Amino acid sequence: MESVKTGSRVSTNAIDTGTAPVAAGPTTPSSMPSRPATTPLAPPPVAAGPAEKSPPAAATAPPLALVLDELVDVVEGVHGALLGSVDGFAIARSATMPNSAAHAAILAAGMGLAHQLAAMGGGDELRQLVIDHDQGLLLLWPIGTQRVLALLTARRVDQAHLRRFVQSRASWLAGER
Amino acid sequence: MRDHTFKILVTGPFAAGKTSLIQSVSQTDVVSTDVVTSGDESDVKAHTTVAMDFGTYTVDGDDVRLLMFGTPGQPRFRFMTNILKGDVDIVAFVIDAEARQTHASAGVELRSLLSDLRVPAVIAVNRCNDDGTAKRLARSLGALDGESVIACQLNDPDSGREVVVEILITLLAKIERTELATSGAEVS
Repeated sequence: MESVKTGSRVSTNAIDTGTAPVAAGPTTPSSMPSRPATTPLAPPPVAAGPAEKSPPAAATAPPLALVLDELVDVVEGVHGALLGSVDGFAIARSATMPNSAAHAAILAAGMGLAHQLAAMGGGDELRQLVIDHDQGLLLLWPIGTQRVLALLTARRVDQAHLRRFVQSRASWLAGER
Repeated sequence: MRDHTFKILVTGPFAAGKTSLIQSVSQTDVVSTDVVTSGDESDVKAHTTVAMDFGTYTVDGDDVRLLMFGTPGQPRFRFMTNILKGDVDIVAFVIDAEARQTHASAGVELRSLLSDLRVPAVIAVNRCNDDGTAKRLARSLGALDGESVIACQLNDPDSGREVVVEILITLLAKIERTELATSGAEVS
């Protein structure tokens, strides 16, 4: 699964889950930015910006709830995050997210329909589902092919920053390591 | 019969054969929301419906049209059944004869759905070859005498079409009853 290339990418806009940096050098939070590309993640293209700081090189992924807590802490305007499987099970949630078993099932159903809506629009690949409501946004991003990330955000959230953060942890969130 | 389009709710427990039924009989491309299963459910099957299946079946040119709405089977997706069940004309309740562990809760679901919707039902007993066995099973789930029961093998499209015929017969019987009741009301 870990092909080191850029040429085989089908879509130029899709982000990839990438790989967290391989253990090399000091295990400081400021090691090399993560740039490799593997599993496609689907959020929409955003303007290029500085790469998000990669997590410390570690042999094993941290508990995903901590990754989501960090996301809520680091990216301004993100109030909560929930990671679910495409078939409707909750995998992890930030501490700020209410614990409701129904949420993961609703996410899965919403994404299931959104894939069909994308096809109705002539698309082949769903990049994100945005629910724009009176209190802000709910962003649903496919993570790899088997998971979905739900982000509760303010309407003015810096989506480029958010996307870079998710990109830098995407292989963890996708459950690839 | 003013309106010749009927809405059918295809429901029943996880892995009963709901999606198979719709895919085997639909004459239009099925809108499906299948995804890869995870956890224990992946031991049962590789894919599952997370929102809905949609298929159509038209009889005699454009005369009678069936719109089939299939629900997910797992209790965590019950909210989809609640969304899809509005204005249905008939329920096709699919049950796997061999998945006995699903039967008790399926019976509860069947009765609660039908007492809520008050529409006729066809109980399709999948992986069953014999209508007598199917009837006994349906009765053990709480099926009433007037409800149609059919044994089927939903991996076989011909069998799926037999279920559709049963649905049509049941719909026609309902329409006749309604017309009788209406004319009776006019007389009195």
